[in-house]
Amino acid sequence: MQPHALALVVLLAPLLVALPGAFFWKRTGNALSLVGLLVQLLATVASVLVLRDTVAGALDGAVTVPWLSFAGTNITLSLGVHLDGLAAFMLVVVQVLALGVLVVSRWYLHGDRFFGRFFASFALFVFAMNGVVLAPSLLQAFIFWELVGLGSYLLIGYWHDKPAASQDPEYQEGKPFHATGVDEDRLSPSYAQLKAFLLNRVGDFGFMSGLALCAWVVSSWTGFQGGDPLAWDTLFGAVAAGAFAVTTPLGVSGTALLTLAGILIFLGAMGKSAQFPLHVWLPDAMQGPTTASAIIHAATMVAAGVFLTARITPMLTPGALDFVLWTGAITATVAATIACVQWDYKAVLAYSTVSQLGYMMAALGAGAAVGGWEAGTAHLFTHAIFKCLLFLGAASVIHGMHGIQDLGRMGGLARKMPFTAIATGVATLAILGVPGFSAFWSKDAILAATHARAFLAREAGAGAWIAVIPHLLVTATAGITAFYMARQWFLAFLGKPRDHHLVDHAHDPDRPTIAVLLVLAGLSLQAVWTGSLNPFGAGSWIESVVTLPAKGLLAAGLPELDEHLVHHLHQETMVQTLILLVLGVGAAAWLFLWNPARGGYVADNLRRRPVTNLVWGFLANLWFLDRLWTVLGGLIVGVRGGRLVARADLGSGPSLDGTLQGAASTSALAGRIVNLFQGGRSGAYAGWTALALFGLVSLILLF
Amino acid sequence: MIDFLLSGPESLAPYLLVGAGLFTLGLLACVVRRNAVGYLIGIELMLNGGILNAVAYGRFRGLQAAADSQILALFAIGLAAAEAAIALALVYAVFRNFRDVDLDLVRTLRS
Repeated sequence: MQPHALALVVLLAPLLVALPGAFFWKRTGNALSLVGLLVQLLATVASVLVLRDTVAGALDGAVTVPWLSFAGTNITLSLGVHLDGLAAFMLVVVQVLALGVLVVSRWYLHGDRFFGRFFASFALFVFAMNGVVLAPSLLQAFIFWELVGLGSYLLIGYWHDKPAASQDPEYQEGKPFHATGVDEDRLSPSYAQLKAFLLNRVGDFGFMSGLALCAWVVSSWTGFQGGDPLAWDTLFGAVAAGAFAVTTPLGVSGTALLTLAGILIFLGAMGKSAQFPLHVWLPDAMQGPTTASAIIHAATMVAAGVFLTARITPMLTPGALDFVLWTGAITATVAATIACVQWDYKAVLAYSTVSQLGYMMAALGAGAAVGGWEAGTAHLFTHAIFKCLLFLGAASVIHGMHGIQDLGRMGGLARKMPFTAIATGVATLAILGVPGFSAFWSKDAILAATHARAFLAREAGAGAWIAVIPHLLVTATAGITAFYMARQWFLAFLGKPRDHHLVDHAHDPDRPTIAVLLVLAGLSLQAVWTGSLNPFGAGSWIESVVTLPAKGLLAAGLPELDEHLVHHLHQETMVQTLILLVLGVGAAAWLFLWNPARGGYVADNLRRRPVTNLVWGFLANLWFLDRLWTVLGGLIVGVRGGRLVARADLGSGPSLDGTLQGAASTSALAGRIVNLFQGGRSGAYAGWTALALFGLVSLILLF
Repeated sequence: MIDFLLSGPESLAPYLLVGAGLFTLGLLACVVRRNAVGYLIGIELMLNGGILNAVAYGRFRGLQAAADSQILALFAIGLAAAEAAIALALVYAVFRNFRDVDLDLVRTLRS
C-alpha cells in the first residue's frame, strides 16, 4: 500500500474505538478495551511500515484533497496527510507508547467505574495527536491541536465527580506530610481539566493570531500561486522568498513581522508544552489516572507543542528563536528547582516533564545552525520513551501502595517490586544522562547546541554575555535534574520502609505490564538510538531520517560551524555534565540515602535562616506562579467569572453542574443589573430618564 | 464666560441660562424630593424652564415668531394647570392609601 494511505489508516484507526465508545462505553467496557488494544496494535504495525517506506524512499511531501475554496480568490484550503522523517518517526513513537499505555491501563484501571470511557477518550486523544503529526498545513495542525486539547481535557477530568482535595478524605489521608504549595481548594480533576483548558486558550489565542497573520501575508503576497497558503511548502517557500518583507500590514514589516508571527505561533506551543509561565496546568493534570499522565507527558499533549515548534522552525527568525531559547531555558530551570522539594511521587515526575520540555525548546531555540534542531527532536523521542516508562512505573508503585503517592511513606520498595524498581531505575538513569542511556546522547546534544549558540553570540560581540545565560541555565539544570530524580528513586525504592504496613503489601504488577515496562526500559538504552554500543561515539542513524523540513530553502541561511570547534565544545559540555551528574546524585545520596534524617534536617536549617528561607518559600510555593494565575484568571475573566470557574468544580463536582450553575448565576446577575433601573423609586426613574435624554441629545449634537 | 453672562437684555444667552437653570433645579427636585408635592413642584419648574426657552427664542426671531411662541406658552401653562389637577388628584389618592405623600412608600409593585 502507499505510505500515505497507510498513514491515513494509522490516523483514522483510533476513531473505530472513539466513536462507538463515546456512546456505548458503559455497556462495553472490557470489550472496548480489547478492541482498542487490537486497533492500536494494527496502527503500530502500520506506522512502522510507514517509517520503513519513508526511510527507504525518502518520501517527502503531502497528499491532500481540496476542502474549502473561496469565491473570487485563488485560495483553496486542503486537508490531507504529510509525510517526512519527522512525522513518520513521531508517528511510530506515538503508536508504540499508546500501545504500551493501553496494556498497562487495562491492568491499572481494572474494575474502575468509568473503565470503558478511558479507552474511548484515549483513542480520541491518539487520533488527535496523529492528526497533528501528519498535518500538511498549519490550519490542519491547528484543528487537531484543539482536538488534542479536548482529549487531554477528557482524560485529566476522568474522575470528574471527585471533590476538591480539601474535601476529599482519601486525599487528606494520603497526602504527603511535607506537602507544600498545594491549593487544596483548587485541586480536583474537574478543576485541573478546566485549568489545562483555559491556560491552553491563552496560548492558542497566540496560535490563532499567528495563523491568521501567516494566511493573510502569504495569500496577499505577489508570488502566491494559489492553493493553500498555510501548507508547509507554500508557507516556508513564501518565507524564504521574502513574502514577509514585501507586505506591510499593521505598519510592521519584514523581519519584525515574521518574528511576530513566529512568536505568536510559539505561544500556542508554550501552552501545550507547558512552558513557563503557562506551565502551571501540567502538575495539576496529575489528577487524571496515572496511565493518562503517562501518555500526556510522553507522546501526545506536551509533545505536540515541541513537535509544532520543530515543524515551523524554517519560519522562525533569529529573534523568534531567541525567544524560544530563553523560554525553554527558564522553564527548564524553574521546574527543576520546584521538583527538588516535591514529596508527591507523581508531582516530581510532573515537574521533571516541564523541565525536560524546557530542554527541548531551548535546543530548538538554539537553532538548526548549531545542531539544536536535531538535538531537540531527538530529545523529544528519547524523553517520550523514558518519561512514559517513569509514569507507568509510577502507576505500578501507586497501585502497590494502594493509592498513596507520598514519598515520605515509601522506601525499600525495591525488595517488594523488583521489576518496577529496575525499570524505573533504568528510566531514571536515562533522564539523568548517564552514559549508555538514551538521554546521555540527546541531552548532551542539547547542551552542546546551547553551548555553541552561546559561543557564536559571544563571538558576535558586545553585550553578548547575556546570550550565555540560557546555556548556563540549562547546564545547571542538568545538575539539579540529577539531584531530584536520584532523590526520588532513593526515597521510593531504597532505604528502610517508612510505612511498614503499606510497603509490606506492595507487589509487582501483572505480567503484561511488567513486559511493557521492560520493553520500554530496553528502548531507553542508548544503543537503540545511536546504533552503536560505544556511548561516546558520535552520530546516530536517526539524524539521517529526521531532518529539518524545508532545509533546501534555508540552506543559505545556515552558517557552517568549524568541525573542530564543534567537537571541542561537545567534549567540554560532556565533561561538565558528567561532573554535575556525579555531584547531583551524590548530594541526593548523602541527604536521603546514607542518613535518612539528614534531608529533613537540612530542610529545617534552610527554613531557619531568613535568606535561605526566602528561597525555600519560593520553591515550596512553586514560585507563586499558581497563585499568580489564580489571581490573573480572576482579573481576566472578571471576579464574577473567576468565581464561576471556581464553582465549576468545587461545589458538587461535575463541571457540567458548574456550567449550569454558572449560567444560572449569570442570569441572576443580569437580572440584578436591570433591577437597578426598576427600583420603584419615582425619583430614580426621573433621574435615569433625564440621564438617558441627556445622553441621546449629546449623541445627536456630537454626531 | 462673564461677558457672555453680562451681554445684556438684547441677547439670547441670559434667557437660555435662566431657562436651563430652572429646568435643572426642577429635575433635581424630582430626583431628590421624596415628598409627592415637592415632586410636582419640580415638574412645574422644568416646564417653566422649557416655556421660557420657547419664548426667548421667539423673542429674537421676529414679530410673527414672538407671537407664536407666546401663544404656545399660554397653551403650555394651561395644559400644565390641567396636568397639575390630575397629579394632585393622584397625590390625594396616594395619601388616602398610605396616610402619607412620601413617594418611597409607593413601591408596593416591587415586592
